[in-house]
Formats: sequence, structure tokens, C-alpha cells
Amino acid sequence: MSGRRRVTVMSPQTRVAHARRVVRRRWRAPRLDPAEARRARRLYLAQSRRGAVTLSALFTLLFGLPVLFALAPALDEVRLYSIPLSWLLLVVVPFPAMAALAWWQLRRADKAEDR
Amino acid sequence: MSAAVAVALIVLLTLLIGLRGVAAMRTTSDFLVASRQVSPLVNSAAVSGEYLSAASFLGVAGIMLSDGVGALWYPVGFTAGYIAMLVLVAAPLRRSGALTVPDFAEARLASPGLRRVAAVVVLIIAGLYLVPQFRTAGLVLSVVSGTPYWVGVVLAGTVVSATLALGGMRAATYVQAFQFCLKLTLFIVPAVWLLLQAGPSVRHDALHPVEITRFAEDTPVVFQVDVVLEVGEPTPVRGPDGAVSVLPVGEHEITAGRTVVFGSGAPVPGLRGADVPGGHDWRRPLLDLENAEHPLLGTWAVLVATMFGTMGLPHVLVRFHTSPDGRSARRTAALTVVLLGVFYLFPGIYGALGRVLVPHLYLSGVTDVLVVALPTQVDAGWQGTLFTALLTGGAFAAFLATSLGLLLVVSGAISHDLAAGGLGQLRVAVVLAAAVVVLLALQATHLAAGTLVTWGFSVAAATFCPLLVLGIWWRRLTSAGALSGVLVGLTASSAAIAATLFGPPLPGWLAILVAQPAPWAVPLAFATMVVVSLRGYPPPWAEAAMLRLHLDEESRSAQRVR
Repeated sequence: MSGRRRVTVMSPQTRVAHARRVVRRRWRAPRLDPAEARRARRLYLAQSRRGAVTLSALFTLLFGLPVLFALAPALDEVRLYSIPLSWLLLVVVPFPAMAALAWWQLRRADKAEDR
Repeated sequence: MSAAVAVALIVLLTLLIGLRGVAAMRTTSDFLVASRQVSPLVNSAAVSGEYLSAASFLGVAGIMLSDGVGALWYPVGFTAGYIAMLVLVAAPLRRSGALTVPDFAEARLASPGLRRVAAVVVLIIAGLYLVPQFRTAGLVLSVVSGTPYWVGVVLAGTVVSATLALGGMRAATYVQAFQFCLKLTLFIVPAVWLLLQAGPSVRHDALHPVEITRFAEDTPVVFQVDVVLEVGEPTPVRGPDGAVSVLPVGEHEITAGRTVVFGSGAPVPGLRGADVPGGHDWRRPLLDLENAEHPLLGTWAVLVATMFGTMGLPHVLVRFHTSPDGRSARRTAALTVVLLGVFYLFPGIYGALGRVLVPHLYLSGVTDVLVVALPTQVDAGWQGTLFTALLTGGAFAAFLATSLGLLLVVSGAISHDLAAGGLGQLRVAVVLAAAVVVLLALQATHLAAGTLVTWGFSVAAATFCPLLVLGIWWRRLTSAGALSGVLVGLTASSAAIAATLFGPPLPGWLAILVAQPAPWAVPLAFATMVVVSLRGYPPPWAEAAMLRLHLDEESRSAQRVR
């Protein structure tokens, strides 16, 4: 963290916002040149598709597991190493599953930008 | 006494590490976002350090004692919020180039009015979240070292504001990252020790819960807040002076500060609004909110609130601005999921052991002290004292790290978003905000921390979550739509919580939806934003403003070189 030279705020957008606050000019629209706009549109579509898949998986996991517990109270009585199976499922399944989901999403999101 | 030493050590270390960040502090950008030079690993440790507040370190185990195994859904929702953040918010938010959430709102929608409203929402969320932190600091310190309540509150306020005013976000980052490691160690090591030390019979009882019906030994219960006891059969009790009396059948209001000794073999009274630890409902891995008999709905409501609330917490969002670029912001979010996951494997152990060793705590109304109370139950000697000290230190680290982040966004909202201030003004804002929060926390002993934090999460879920998601992913969002959505979400979530605090008790699922408004307030805010936006027209530059959030930095700099 300390090795690199420290810079002040980089984004042109923020610079515009700040300048505006000082001089109270009219809002200058952010611009994208045509090549940037094409790339941005492609990334927007790619990321929204990938994101939708990840979020569906997340919601299925999170909202489905309580349904499983509600429908199968027998899971409370089954024991693994004398721990009730439903307790174990509540702790041991969601966290590793979410970590895996996060890494999967991260890799796919990065890959979309590598192209 | 040794716990006081542990707290003193944590406070001292916080200040020392904070000093490292002081030397390099020159600009507003340094102060608010550490000049965007924080690596993903350090940043995710800082996010986790900041996020694991008193509610996580002490609260989850406490809720488990009073509400049952289903309480473990809270950490699941907390962690899931970061996946949603990773997918929807992290990289685009960083690429907006804004310094704060209101800054982002203005950069995307060019509405100064929206900026001001967003800044006020930041103040509301941060206030609802900060007061319970300081309150718990006061409570825990008074329990472990016998100091008056105000000492802990003032101490926390002083340390946090001094670190921040001097070192800003840079200092806060180092401190929070360090405190995450500290909290992780101070949470896991005692948990393992407790498991080993507790002995086979306690471990067996922890896994085979039975409803506690009678006190096994003379049990003094110190009531920290006002509670209503439901007595099913005449119960003999002793006062602290030894005077014996009998509680007749019926409901009894017990005022805060009273100590009642239940004799060995006396029946355990019920507590209004809580399951008796170990009962059938307690054992089920679902959250029966408000005892409304709708466990599935209750669990879902908590998941929605925690997940979408996390996405809108301003002090977490601001941490993504400290990443060097969008890619590392995303990496930060993914790493945070892993780090939080490791931590959250352990609260269940404290909760399960607490039900066996200190079940009477649920009567006192302050189950938050469960974690700190456990070690001395297992070992009365020096080891128990040592581990109590370690856990108290960890809990204090939890308040400090969270308060640091919150106070930072408060001063940012006041001095960067509401007034166009510089570095000096930011520093003054920190100290003033801390003073106000300390004054509020001194009045708030009787307010349950859970209510305030739920409120904070609901407001965040119903305001900033839709604002960010639609702002980043929907080109047709207009500033009028965003503004009305934020206001509707704020009003709806606050009104619902106010109704739970002051309104009449409600039956069934209505009670759940009023106590935990996120499941309807979030869709309502989204719908308002969409409907109002569709009735107007976005400005011609709106699409470019949205698309540029998705443009990666590499291609931007490549364009420039060419």
C-alpha cells in the first residue's frame, strides 16, 4: 500500500462534480467515445447475464433451505456425530457454498472484462 | 480487573495502529477513501473487521439463546449480502469515481436534491447503527469491570473519534483490518477451549436440548432491562437482601436493575416474546419471529432484511471506494464472503453452550453478555478469567472497528455531502458527531440493540439498495424516480418499526411484516422508483452515465494511450 505514489481523486466525473459545486455551472454530461460505448454496452450485457445466473443460484440456496427445513422436520432427529443434521446443514452448507459462488462469479466477471 | 486490562490493551493498540495512518493524511480523498490505494486482502479484512460489530460478536449467540437455533440465519443473510454486492454493486460503484454514496447518486443522476436526501439517509442509518454500538460498549464494560455505564460509552466515543479525526480512512483501514484478525482469534480460540473444557456431559446436553423447566441451583438473575415474566405456578424467589417472597401466577413486570434469586428447584418463568431455551420451537432451525407461528415467513423476512440491508449500508459501501479499481473492488467483496464465512462458523457453538451453562440469562433481557459470561462457568480459575478477558477485548474491538466506519460516513455525509467542506471541517465533524452519538447512547440503555440495528438494516435495504441497483443497471431511472423511491422506502420502513415500538401488539404474520418490514418495503421502494421513472423521461446523457459505470479501467486507459 505504501509503495505506490499516492494520487488524488482520479475520475473525471468526480472532478466535474467538484468543479460544479464550486462554480455552480450546468451539469456537463459524461461522454463516451463510440468505441468505449460499444465496449461498455457489451460488458453491461455480459455482466448482467452472468450476474443473473449467480443471483438465481444464491436465492435458490437461501430461500430453498428454509423450505427444506419446514417440509422435513425429520432432519432435526437425524444425527451426524450426534449433531442434529438440520443444525449442521444450517452452518456447514451455506458458508462454503456462498464462498464457492463468490469465487465463481468473480472469475466469470473478470473473464468478461479480459476479452 | 483483567478484563479491564484487556480492554485497555485493545484501546491502546487501536490508537497506536491508527497513528500509522496519521502521517500520510493530507487531503479529503485521503480522509474519506484512503486515496484508493488499499489492496483487496487488506480491504476485505477491513470490511469484515468493520462489519463484525457487537451484533455479530455477541449478538448472534445471544439471539440464539433467546430465539433458538434459527438465529443462525442472521449470519447467513449477513454474508449473502456481499455476494449480491459483488454481483450488482462493487465494481460499478467504484468506477463511478464517487467518494460517498450521495456523491454516487449525484454523479449518476445529477440531482443536488437527491444528494442531500441521500446524505440525510446516511445520517439516519449510521445513527441507528452507532447508538447500539456505544450502548453495548457501556454495558459490557460495566458488566466485566463494574464501571458505571457512561464510562464505557465515553471511552468508546473518545478512542474512535480521536483515531478518525487524526488519521481518517487510512488509519481506519489499518485499525479495522488488524481488529478483524484480532476478533477472529479472540472468537475462535475461546470457542475451541470452551468446547474442550466443558466436558462430555455439557457437550451432550448442548446437542440434546431439553426445555429448562426448573432451576438446577440457586440462580441470581440481574434484570438489565424492563421485562414481563409469565409465571405458570407460584414461584418462590429471594431478593438480594435475602427476603423471601412468592411470585403468584400471572404476568409480572420487572423493572431494570432488580436482582432476583431463584432458588434451586424453582420453576423457570416464561418471558413475554421469547421461547424458553431448549423447547421444541427453540430447536427448530427456523426463526419464529415475534412468536407468530410462521417460522418460514419469519426466516425469509430476516434473510431479505439482512441481505438487502447489507447492500445498502453506507459504511460498507464506502469501503469499496477505497479500492484502486473496479476489479479489486470485486475481489474485495468475494474475499469478504470467505472471511465472514470463517467467522460465522462459530457463534452457534457459543449459543449452544450458553443454553446449557447460562440459560437463565434469557430472563434478564440482555442475552448479549452470554459470550462474555461463558468462560467463568466452565472454569472458575485463572483460565476462565483469562478467556473472559480475551472475549471482552474482542467485543470491544468489535465496537471500535464498526464505530470507526460509521463515524467516518457520518462526517463524510455532513461535511462532504451536505456542506462543501475541506479536511479541517471533516475532522471537526467527526468529533461533533461522536459527541452527539455519545449523548444519545447515554439515554439509550433501555432500547434493545436488536431493534435499532434491524431498523438501520431495513432503512438501508429500502433506500440505498434500490437506488444503487437501479442506478447501476437501469438506464431509464430518473432523479425524480430515485428521489421518490428513497423517500417512500425511508417512510415505510421507519413507520413500520415505529409501529412495533409504540403500536399495539399484532397477531400472526402481520406482526412479522411490521417488525421486519424489509420484505414489503424493499419491493415498494423498487416499484416506486420504476413507476415514477417511467412516467418521466431520463435526460439524453443518462445512458452514457450508466454505461460508463460498466466500463473497465484497462480499456479506458488503453483508449487514452492510443
